[in-house]
Formats: sequence, structure tokens, C-alpha cells
Amino acid sequence: MLADGDRVPAIEGVARDGPALLAFFKTDCPACHLTLRYLDDLSSQLGDSDVLGISQDGQESTSELVDALGLRIPVRFDRGLAASVACGLEAVPALFLVDGRGSVAGSCQGFDKAGLNRLGAALADLSGVARPAPAPSGDGNPDFQPGCVSRHLEPEADAPGAAPVDLYARRGRRASRVSVPSGMGAEEFCYEQGFADPLPVVPPTVGRVDRMIAASGLAPAEIIAHVPPNYGPASVEKIAANAVMAGCRPAYMRVLVPAVKALCDERLDIHGVQGTTHFAAPLAIVNGPVRSELGFACGSNVFSNAARANSTVGRAIQLILRNLGGAAPGRIDMSTLGNPGRFSYVVGEHEERSPWEPLASDFGVPEGGNAVTFFCAEPPRAVSEHKARTGEVLLRAICPVLANVWSHRVCSRSEALVVIGPEHAATLQRSGFSKRDVVEFLYSNTGIPLREYDGDGGEGTHEASLYEECVIRGVRCYRKFRKPESIRVMVAGGPAGKFSVVLGSWATGPGGSQMVCQQFD
Amino acid sequence: MPETLVSPLDERVPPAAFAARRLESVKGARLALLDISKAGGSVFLDRLETLLKDRFDVAEVLRFRKPTFAKPAPESVLEDIRKAQPQAVIEALAD
Repeated sequence: MLADGDRVPAIEGVARDGPALLAFFKTDCPACHLTLRYLDDLSSQLGDSDVLGISQDGQESTSELVDALGLRIPVRFDRGLAASVACGLEAVPALFLVDGRGSVAGSCQGFDKAGLNRLGAALADLSGVARPAPAPSGDGNPDFQPGCVSRHLEPEADAPGAAPVDLYARRGRRASRVSVPSGMGAEEFCYEQGFADPLPVVPPTVGRVDRMIAASGLAPAEIIAHVPPNYGPASVEKIAANAVMAGCRPAYMRVLVPAVKALCDERLDIHGVQGTTHFAAPLAIVNGPVRSELGFACGSNVFSNAARANSTVGRAIQLILRNLGGAAPGRIDMSTLGNPGRFSYVVGEHEERSPWEPLASDFGVPEGGNAVTFFCAEPPRAVSEHKARTGEVLLRAICPVLANVWSHRVCSRSEALVVIGPEHAATLQRSGFSKRDVVEFLYSNTGIPLREYDGDGGEGTHEASLYEECVIRGVRCYRKFRKPESIRVMVAGGPAGKFSVVLGSWATGPGGSQMVCQQFD
Repeated sequence: MPETLVSPLDERVPPAAFAARRLESVKGARLALLDISKAGGSVFLDRLETLLKDRFDVAEVLRFRKPTFAKPAPESVLEDIRKAQPQAVIEALAD
């Protein structure tokens, strides 16, 4: 960028015989819009002094912007972006104060109130008029907002008039390289740039990301999926950068890549889950030999901080949703109370302690195959039952917890995943329960008593006439679930402790989120 | 030498968009109400339709509905709204 004393290149329609303030802008840059509003005010305070906008775009979009902002300052055009190149612009807005001899007498970049005030005062001095104060602090706008890359540095694909987003594109472009300013720690820089969740990250240096990409065996620009709701392209390189930040080992790309594919499968409807006020967060369940090969926890503390693989792959998934999908808390993600699973939500199935076929087999994955399955889940609901000697007594302790998923009196709408602890699984096995028997029992014995609908309304009461009535242990009830397949069962957890977990769903079925399973090698 | 990082963000530049011009008055206007199909949304919109007609002299209220609140409006719903050519659309959220 030009420095003080450098000659300003000729720009069509810009006189060189007096002081002027030139502001390069592009029409789709929010910081430019903000700057132009203040420059308009500055111009009106300075009277006849020259404040000029230099548009990097064409007549049509520039006129639209001028009308939309109600701008009165004159606007010129940097045709062919020759002046932007000659000025060495990196970002816009870029402001140059030009003295009466055509040389730079001051400059600033981005929306910068201090810079605006400094350049405004200097222009007033050069013009011999009273100093203005165009950009007061505390007027509701930030003191500083970075701008956007100058139009001439944009890749062609991002230029105005480019084709709309191609959701089926298989190759993207390489990620930008970002330099950490000297004197600033890389971790703090990542946080400031909005790369991270609130926890510290491992800075995604070029070397670390390259090692992650190499482990995937894929081309860096290959697009694995487009991440809702903004449908940002998840190239292998972008996935790798987020995996580095999350603390993943390169070997975890073997799971993370198919996980991103499953996460963005339309059937999962992560678009809706990312914008809901509900508790739901995508839970990933890992099946197959990959669990022991990469160290995914499926035993004690499976839902908490037991293993690097679970914690960091889950965090990478969340960072990808945030950084490429665009949904962050307070910005699209408006969950009323949130879910601790939004930091990380990955469990392995404890297949070695399960008397039954693994969860992935429900989706056609042959036993012994590796798979990652997503279920958009509420936080875990605990079941504690230490005295049950038979499977039936145990399952009767799970039914009331199941009855409360989504909303107590709402029936036929939700689904549930029941995670049976190994000791409970052993009790059920001793009683001769197959996985299908467990599901059928839970389906048949979970209901909401009709007396719960006698009050003054409440969620679920208005559509009660649509529910299926049944009798459970002599009590007239509405059946909680639409069909047995609304309940899925798996085994996880440590060897000691008679506990299980129930996870409720978000909106389900074709109009909501359906479980998605992705097999991989 | 400064440390160089790989950007983990979506780097696409969103196209410029401006808010649609506001109606100066809804008197005599033809408005569309889009029900996103959340529970209670139709009750709210029924009342809104009454108020728009009785209190603000809206000439016509057209009603549209998304099939599910959980997903974006399908193109067919958007096309139906466009074809009806309302002067403004009110999208109703409800919970």
C-alpha cells in the first residue's frame, strides 16, 4: 500500500490540483458501507473539500449502493482496477489523503474511526477550514472493523457475477494463508480471528495442516461436503485445519472425513438442528475395529473426557459446523439452553460387552465394519437401576425416562437412543432379551397416562386425539412412540455400575432429522 | 519470521444484499403471511390477519405454509408466493 510521500496514480475523474480524500471501496463489503456513511457526514462538515469514493465495481452495483446508503459524495470508478493495483491495495476500504501536489499525506485501511478523524482533521487543515469530528466513539458502531480483500486480489470464482454456489462441486480452492502479527501469540490470534470455540486451540500452522492432509490420502482441494446452514465447502484442507485446531492426531482423519460426509447428509437435517432453540446436538457413534485402532473410548466415562479420539474428533466436528457452516452461538445457533455436547459429542459402542449386533448393523453395515452414525440428540438422561434381577424389571425403570423425551405429553413425534450400560446389558442377556425384544418391550410399555391430559392444556394435549391409545399395566395411556423403530438400542459404558442413558431426539422423520450412518474402511 | 496459519473459515464473499424497500402504508395492500408450521403459528396468524384487515385496512391477506418448520421453505412454496405477487410477505415464527 502506498506510503506517505508516494505519488498517487491517475484515476479517471479525480482532479490533481487540490487536497482530496480518496476512499477505495467495493459494494459487497460491510466495512466499506460503514466507512462511506461517515465519509458522507465528513464531506458535509467540510463544505467544498473533496471527499471521493472510488468504486472497485461496475456502474450498476455501485449505483444501487449509492441509492441504498443515500450517499451524496461523488463516486468515481477504478476501471480495470488499475489504480487499486498501482496503490498496492490489500484490503478495502482504503483511504488516502492526497495533498495539493498529488502525494499521499496519510492513509488508513478498514473501518477505522481514529483514522477517519485523523484524515478528516488533516484534510481540513490542508483545505483551510475548521476541523470536523465525523466519527465519535460510542455511537453504536465499533471503533474498528477489518475490511475485505481488495477486488483485484480475489480469486476469479468469488468475483461479482460468478456462478451461484455449486453444492455438488467436488473441487474447491486452496485455503488462504494468514500471518500472525508479530508480538501476538498464535493461540490468541486464532481466538481474535473467530477461528475457535471459547477453548484454546492448536494453531493450524501450514506444517500441521499438511501432515493432517497427508494422513487422509486425499487431495487438499477435494470437497467432501457443503456444511449447512451456510453451505460452506468442507475441503480436505479446511477439515484438516479444523482438526488441527481441535487437537486431533492426523490418523483421526480416517474417521473425521466420513463423519463430515454423514453430518452433511440431507437426511440428518443439520441445517435445522444448527438453528433450533432446542437442545439437540449431533451425537456421533463409532462402530467397528477403528475404535481400538485409534483409541475411541466406549467404556468408562464414554460420554465425558475419557479419550483424545472422542474429545478431539467431536470438537473438530463442532468447529467445522461453526467455521464452515456458519452457525455459532448467538449467530444462527440460538439454542435456549444449549447442550454440553456442543463442545464434543462422540461415543464408541462397547461392542465387546454387547450381547447384540452393533448399532451400525441397523443401517446395513456388516458386523466388523467401521461406521460413524449420527443422531441429533438431547443431553443424556440418566437411568440408575441397581436392584433389578430380571430384564423386565430393568426395562420398566427405563420406560419412564423414555416417556419424557422431547416433551412429557407429546407422543408419536420423537425418537430415542437408549444406551445400555454393560451391567444392564448382562442382566438383559441373562433374561434372554434379544435387541429386538428390548425395543419391542420399551415400545409397548412406554406411554403417558390419559389422566395427564385432564388439565388445562399444555404441549401435546391439542393433538391427543391423534395418538394411539393402549393399556400399560392396567393404566390407560397414549403410546409414546409411533413405532418400535423409533427406539434404537446400543451398549456403551464401563464394566462397573448399573446405569444406562436415554437420549431424546429433535424433530424427526422426513420433515426433520433422521439418523445417518456412513461406513468406511 | 511470522507464523503462517491455514484459514479454517469459509472464505466465500457473500453477495451484496440490501433490505427490500419498506411499504409506506399497508392500507389497501395485498400481503402474504407465511406460516412456518410451528405449533400455535396458525392461531397467531389468524389473529394477525384479522387485525391487518380490521385495523389497518389491508385489502387482501394471502396465506402460505411451509411443510415443516425444521427445514427451509421448498422452492415450490417460494414460487407460489412469487406467483401471487403480494406487495409484502410476513414470515411468522412461533413457539
